[in-house]
Amino acid sequence: MNNLTSRQRKTSCVVGILVLLVPIVLLGMPASGQGEASGGVLARLRSAHDLGESDLGQIDPTSATMNLVLLGLRGVAVNMLRMDLDHYKDTKNWAELRATTEAVITLQPHYIEVWKFLAWNMSYNVSAEWDAVPDRYYWVKEGGKFSQEGTRRNQDSPELLWETGKVWGQKVGRSDEWKYFRGYFLKDPDEETYRGSVDPDVNPKQMDNYLVAKEWYSKANNAEDRHVQHIMMRALFRSYPTRSQLDYADALQREGKFTGVTVAAWQGGFDEWTGIYGAMEFKAPDCVLHMEANEDDVRQMAADNNVSEAVVQRWLKHYQNTTNYRYWRTRSQSEARAETAEAHELIFDGEQEYRKGELDSAVAKLTRGMGLFAEMLERHPDLAIEDLTAEEGMWAVLLWQKILELQQKPVPETYPLKFLWDHHQGLLGELEDRFNRLGL
Amino acid sequence: MSLQPVDFNLLIGATQWVIVFGSFIGVFLLVAMATSFPMYGLAGPGRVVAGALHGLGEFLSPSPRRVYAIAMLTYKESIRKKALLVFVVFAVLFMFASWFLANPSDRPDMQVRNYVAFVFIAINMLVLPVVLLLSCWGLPEDIRIRSLHTVVTKPVRRNEVVLGRILGFASVGTLILLIMSTVGYVWIQRQVSSDVDLFCRVPVYGDVTMIDRTGNPGLGVNVGDIDETRSFIEGGTRAAGVWTFPLNEKADTIRLESRFEAFRTFKGNMDRSLRVRYVLVNEAKSLRVPLPTFEVDEFGTNETEVARKQTWTDEQTLKTNEVDIYDDLAVTSDKGTYGALVVHVQCLDRSQYLGVSQGDFFIRLPDRSFATGYIKAVIGVWLKILVIVMAGVTASCFVKWPVATLLSFSVIVIGQVARGFLDKILSGKQAGGGAAESVYRLLTHMNDTATLPENPLTSTLQLFDHGLQHGLWMVKFMIPDLTSFGMSDWVARGFDVPWQGVMLPSLAVTFGYFLPCLLLGYFSLSLRELEAK
Repeated sequence: MNNLTSRQRKTSCVVGILVLLVPIVLLGMPASGQGEASGGVLARLRSAHDLGESDLGQIDPTSATMNLVLLGLRGVAVNMLRMDLDHYKDTKNWAELRATTEAVITLQPHYIEVWKFLAWNMSYNVSAEWDAVPDRYYWVKEGGKFSQEGTRRNQDSPELLWETGKVWGQKVGRSDEWKYFRGYFLKDPDEETYRGSVDPDVNPKQMDNYLVAKEWYSKANNAEDRHVQHIMMRALFRSYPTRSQLDYADALQREGKFTGVTVAAWQGGFDEWTGIYGAMEFKAPDCVLHMEANEDDVRQMAADNNVSEAVVQRWLKHYQNTTNYRYWRTRSQSEARAETAEAHELIFDGEQEYRKGELDSAVAKLTRGMGLFAEMLERHPDLAIEDLTAEEGMWAVLLWQKILELQQKPVPETYPLKFLWDHHQGLLGELEDRFNRLGL
Repeated sequence: MSLQPVDFNLLIGATQWVIVFGSFIGVFLLVAMATSFPMYGLAGPGRVVAGALHGLGEFLSPSPRRVYAIAMLTYKESIRKKALLVFVVFAVLFMFASWFLANPSDRPDMQVRNYVAFVFIAINMLVLPVVLLLSCWGLPEDIRIRSLHTVVTKPVRRNEVVLGRILGFASVGTLILLIMSTVGYVWIQRQVSSDVDLFCRVPVYGDVTMIDRTGNPGLGVNVGDIDETRSFIEGGTRAAGVWTFPLNEKADTIRLESRFEAFRTFKGNMDRSLRVRYVLVNEAKSLRVPLPTFEVDEFGTNETEVARKQTWTDEQTLKTNEVDIYDDLAVTSDKGTYGALVVHVQCLDRSQYLGVSQGDFFIRLPDRSFATGYIKAVIGVWLKILVIVMAGVTASCFVKWPVATLLSFSVIVIGQVARGFLDKILSGKQAGGGAAESVYRLLTHMNDTATLPENPLTSTLQLFDHGLQHGLWMVKFMIPDLTSFGMSDWVARGFDVPWQGVMLPSLAVTFGYFLPCLLLGYFSLSLRELEAK
């Protein structure tokens, strides 16, 4: 006990409060909106490091209100919601899962990993649980849209922008259901809502999924100019817009479109790969380099960085290998030629003719296609050791041989692509399986 | 996941209630008689019996007028304590709810489910704490300010005080619930898109057994799902799920509805979903009538209209015959007025699997209005309010309000949320053993599935846990099972709330606790020193 009277105790409490208020005001005073210098220490630091709500992205009043109401219990609430989320996933209660996803993000609007995880969960995990392909596509879209929403709330996050591009590019274009998904991207299966057109939230410009992905990856690169990303090596991260262009051309080929727009897409890909991506500067440990480089460029880079040419060569090779730079350069250059397009088309058509039972026509097309394919490999021998190219050539020869067998004709001693056939016998077992599975 | 039907037998429940309640009374009287010896000698038991009979007399003849007066007093007191301020929070919640819930890309079924769930969560979260606090604070506060002292000196019996309090608090809860549920109903109607139909399915569930791939009775296949509610039927084999539905009314068509899960071991044909077939079977008459094959709409609904008259071709004679569901296909069963309909469910795609559970497949009777199910779900909340009020008032008769609040809160949490966990512990299915064993595992960093080493310490711990489990077993029967009270899930998923298995057990639990609570409250209040603050 002390000897203070009640009034003295109260007065001392008031004085204590006032004294404590001084540092609180100094630290926490909100910004007045008159430039970066206004407000308390914390407000100035927030402004200087772009950490204010308005700097991070669109402000969500719900989220701000909820966080205020929950005081310090946000973490507890989020933990409980995340447990609910897992439970709903295990018990396949998708409506509850979707609603809980929104609740979680309302409480953690600027936690990038949460956006990434929840978007991925819907696009990849939940979509795979559904049997009908349109249902799977619905959930892919839900994940993608969720990720898009994340980019609006966190406009400077290169990672979230990249993840959004990944959903529209990789998930739509490379899933087992890619043929359906790519079609749905241009004509949504929800006829009632979208009347046979695109989902405007996803594809307002009615473009190919890879071109939409390319736009997101480009935005990610722009954001990456200002904020560092932690997903992958920078040289790989920066390659994605151009890789999307190349994937777009590749997807057209997979769909049996070889000329016209496809050749133009490959040409565009080559130009961007060598002209834009190849000219980007990357900081290797010993030097700054760009990947589209001839001997003069190497000499110049060595001089600029004050290192030997061998050092530049070593790092250049390392970067080019990591990004598969030379392969995509050669591939796009080769695919942009009319002869290559014709080779692909003839092999594709030959297979179609064979499926229809038109054996003579199939042999003729495959023979011509194999010839053009061999010429392409002569021009670009690097491609012959690349699996996808080798596989296509081997597939053409296999089909051709099977047809000859059916026609009871001997396989000639020499034929185009024989060197490829002899060199890649290891691929034969897998191709035979594929042939048998197709029931050809 | 589909909602699963629950079996509830009122007769068995009532018998258990009589045994438990009777034993409780018997033990109570025996203890009272035993303790009366030191105080009153041989006259003690006689006094106990006389006291009990007197109490019973009072108990059986309450004055409705006095009960009503106390109930009204309690009601007015609650209003004076600003219990209705809860509406302010309610209004704020509903004003901003659409911020959290509105999502233009939501499917209609998701919209309805989320809106209904929100309304009932809001009502539960707001009403239940209010009635809990009111009921636990009322009597102790009266004792503290000695207003109860004034009341009991009037010709008011203690049981009338307890009953009046229960009715008073229940009426406050009922008023709040009525207003909130009406607002909630209008809000749902306004929020849900105009193109979404609100209705309540009326399911008739059947018993289910499984046939394995060889055609013999067996179990379904476990495909590794974390949730083990469903068993899986192997496609392209003789495996099937066999449902036996009771037929209680005759109709020209029977509507079958299902929600199966598809599980593919390989992608297969992506142009279509897995194919499923129903076969109506009467083994005794060697009748097997296959219905048209359909593709399963996973997590959606598969609806099949089955006409009463079916044509089928005898595989042996290749003759086409006509059969009547009620006259030819129905099998003898004591569950249905017209027997039972046996339906085999088969998956037709080889190496693919169809996930089924009892609640996945049912006969759908004509739908009822959304309001019907909604009102029943509100009744579920109302019954919960009654149980909470009874628990709160009873607890406040023998302990002070903080303890009464904690006690009632624990009873409700265990009864509603932790019931499954309690069952798991008592059935021995909870990995990691009991409390003592769990502490041992925590301290020794031992996984809960690892075998416990055999030594004197672990044996002692397990013996201790065994003793605790017995105590827990008794607690289980004393704490009301509130799991069936949450009826909103049925409405949220477009179902009417079933009477058997949901409404009936909820009503039975509420009425079952009424008498013991009243009795306990009465004797506690009679024996309590009301002068003590």
